[in-house]
Amino acid sequence: MYQAKSVQVTVRGKAILADVDLRLALGRVVAVVGANGAGKSTLLKVMAGERKPTGGEILLDERPLPSWPVAALARRRAVLPQLVEIVFPFLAAEVVSLSLPPHVDRKSGEALVRRALAAVEMEDFADRIYGTLSGGEKQRVQLARVLAQAWTGEDTYLLLDEPTASLDLAHQLLILRLARTHAESGGGVMLVLHDLNLASMVADEILALKNGSRIAAGPPSAIITNDLIAALYGVRGEVRGVPDGPFILPQTVRMPADGGVWTT
Amino acid sequence: MQRTTISLLIAGALLAWLPCSPDVAHAQSSRTISDAEVLKVEIRDTSRIVTIGAAITEIVFALGHGDRVVGVDQTSTFPPAVRTKPNVGYMRALSAEGVMSLAPSLIVATEGSGPPDVIDILARASVPFVLVPEGYDEAAVLRKVRYIAQVLGEKENGEAMALAISADFKAMRAQLEKISSPRKGVFVFAVGGGTPTVGGNKTSADGMFALSGIENAMRSVSGYKPAVAEATLAAAPDVVVTMLERNHSLEPSEMFALPAFAGTPAARDKRLVAISSYALTFGPRTAHAARNLAAAVYPELSLSPLQPRPWTGEGVAAKP
Amino acid sequence: MTTAVARATATHARPVGRGAIVLAGAGTLLVLAILGSLAIGPVVISPADVLRILVDGAAGARPTTGTAMRDAIVVLDIRLPRTVLAVLVGSTLAVAGAILQGVFRNPLADPGIVGVSTGAAFAAVCWIVFGYAAAAHLPTFVAAAGLPLSAFLGSLVTIVMLYRLATREGKTPVAMLLFAGIALGALAAAGTGLVIFVASDQQLREFMFWTLGSVGGANWTKVALVLPFVLILLAGSVSLRRGLDALALGEAEAFHIGFDVQWLKRVAIVLVAAGVGAAVAVAGVVGFVGLVVPHLLRLSAGPMHGRLMIGCALLGGALMTASDIFARTIASPAELPIGVVTAIIGAPYFLFLIHRNRAALGG
Repeated sequence: MYQAKSVQVTVRGKAILADVDLRLALGRVVAVVGANGAGKSTLLKVMAGERKPTGGEILLDERPLPSWPVAALARRRAVLPQLVEIVFPFLAAEVVSLSLPPHVDRKSGEALVRRALAAVEMEDFADRIYGTLSGGEKQRVQLARVLAQAWTGEDTYLLLDEPTASLDLAHQLLILRLARTHAESGGGVMLVLHDLNLASMVADEILALKNGSRIAAGPPSAIITNDLIAALYGVRGEVRGVPDGPFILPQTVRMPADGGVWTT
Repeated sequence: MQRTTISLLIAGALLAWLPCSPDVAHAQSSRTISDAEVLKVEIRDTSRIVTIGAAITEIVFALGHGDRVVGVDQTSTFPPAVRTKPNVGYMRALSAEGVMSLAPSLIVATEGSGPPDVIDILARASVPFVLVPEGYDEAAVLRKVRYIAQVLGEKENGEAMALAISADFKAMRAQLEKISSPRKGVFVFAVGGGTPTVGGNKTSADGMFALSGIENAMRSVSGYKPAVAEATLAAAPDVVVTMLERNHSLEPSEMFALPAFAGTPAARDKRLVAISSYALTFGPRTAHAARNLAAAVYPELSLSPLQPRPWTGEGVAAKP
Repeated sequence: MTTAVARATATHARPVGRGAIVLAGAGTLLVLAILGSLAIGPVVISPADVLRILVDGAAGARPTTGTAMRDAIVVLDIRLPRTVLAVLVGSTLAVAGAILQGVFRNPLADPGIVGVSTGAAFAAVCWIVFGYAAAAHLPTFVAAAGLPLSAFLGSLVTIVMLYRLATREGKTPVAMLLFAGIALGALAAAGTGLVIFVASDQQLREFMFWTLGSVGGANWTKVALVLPFVLILLAGSVSLRRGLDALALGEAEAFHIGFDVQWLKRVAIVLVAAGVGAAVAVAGVVGFVGLVVPHLLRLSAGPMHGRLMIGCALLGGALMTASDIFARTIASPAELPIGVVTAIIGAPYFLFLIHRNRAALGG
């Protein structure tokens, strides 16, 4: 169990996060939604241990996060940030290998890297220089790195900050499927998402943040309501409504069972 | 952090005010110089000589061994024959292998040459490396001549040369007695960004002034230092002396426009004298250089020229 | 999309195995440079004679008279220590530069920027002006080592002050490090100017030549002085390789991957200070090696630090040694300061780098 208890983050008198609780169990996917500046990324950083909360605490397996040695923590949780800037000419495969712990030998490491790249459909890009990839391709390489790190541990948690941000529809769904697979194989997943539809598709539980406070938490059916959307974003929408022009819901997109994409 | 920095700064400032010996060369040279007794034994072969230092080069040539010189340093420009000799560079940054490639059997160098490691290697190569003591007065010049004569085995010629130079100095002193009131001078080594670097005490310029009957207005300064305008004004120099070579000299109008000199008696009377740089080398032509300088600074005295010597060649006259 | 094969162009990919080839090439260049440095110089000695002298010398046999003695001195007492020193100093500067660029995540970071070289030079000036007088009272070895030791102490003190200036609550933002480095460099330069003012003319000129760099005064004492620092730096750099790799993603990511980032930066900085301090101490301030060599290697062999450190050690040594051959033959029988040669090679390359990166630098 990975949990945040009464987390408080105050910067110069302003509360970025106020008394937020989050419980992430193995086998579950939790999505965090909210408007820009609601504190979603801050919550993820506090969960990851990157940022110390002003109040409250984070517990992993009942132990406070500060008591975890850095290397041991890395074997239990892997973090995908919103933005990674690399100035040196690493290959995509090399980037993925950066997260591997020292005890993994070269052959196993190479196999893990290949497997991770294949999972994000980037296996042909292994020898490409990372800096020459598109935004979406880079994001997928980063996710492969995070997956590879998670696969070297046991009972691991994925903390993903806007993993679908630069991706096209097919790849967005691929990421969601990877999240679900990770949960189904015994891991835990926390996702920060902007897209409510995607959150509704992938999450067992949605946590809604507004101005640093938790205003709702529960299964998608309980959260995706007109009133909550109005409260979160200040817009009136219609859950289950149908617009006038053409539209397609990600929920209706089919992916082939073997994980590839339709070629026709 | 603040405490560490502040205490370091205070220590640094204190150190800066400690009187320190400017003549550190002694500490270096005392372990490398060989005394005369040892030289007599070691010097067997003077067929290939490297001379380092303008004065040294001139003396070696004057003693008739110029054809044996196989290399000179970059300050050696006289006599004209040296221009065809290989140049070993700056005296404090000699190249061990470079000097050895000239296959010298003897190296005669001005005190302060180095670096010490190179001298060590050359000594181990059994090439005698003689360091000649430096100085900025008549006694120093005579000492150099006699010393080098001994090294070359030219004791008689050396003595004759020393006597001739001694006579030159004596003649100079006699002429200087004509001076009723000495003029104050400032030697300008170079001008950088409007501030002249002047020669204080313990410099070759100071020594040259003393020989020429000029009072050094900057004698309170130690070594070559940038001038403080107020200090030069207070010193009220009657004449500004500078070097003839292009890099160092300025037109009178430019020199006296500098804040350091505008308003001085020198500027009022437009007294700017340029001397050739050989005047600072304190070699065999020193007395002649002093005479030329004195003649330029005291034109009204009509000082007569000194007797030409074999080693003076065409020495450049001072320009008023 | 995934069924289409991405075509690897020369600029978009790096072929597998390229790294090993580049390292082999760097090693070859180093060997050639060493051989050249032993065989080439103002004194003409045939390669066969050079070899014989080396073999005899290793056995302890030395001619004692004539040209043979002179040649032996040239090869064993001048060229050999000089070559060894050039290799050590070049390796150190290149590896230190690579580590610094890893810590700053900036390919243009150079040991000179953080003021380490300037601090070392300032300490050396203080020794030249004030220390010789004190040296008379010290045992000979300490007095001879005074200059190198002062320079090393200067770089250490600079790096400690740098760390304390730029670190708050255990964190060292890169921008603070840069600003603090520039400020300290300016302070050291001011101190140097003050001391030079107090100094007399001859000490001033000695210092100026020293700070243009030279391995001309090489001897085995200097080699012995710098060798431990070089070995520590090389060993340390290889052991830090994974941490520096992870740091390339950013300090937060390196933490997520499981590295103690503050400790990593601390060790890296101390290694850099030790290496640069030792190098400046024995050879003066020599620039551009720490900039050009790591950059070239990243482009050709890749930025993974394990390979990079080895490559820097090899290529840095080669570059320095080749520059020294040039420095002592081009103006023979005089000698160019080696810092001038590396600047002639490195400064245009540096300008080219700035030009290429101008978008990233905000130009």
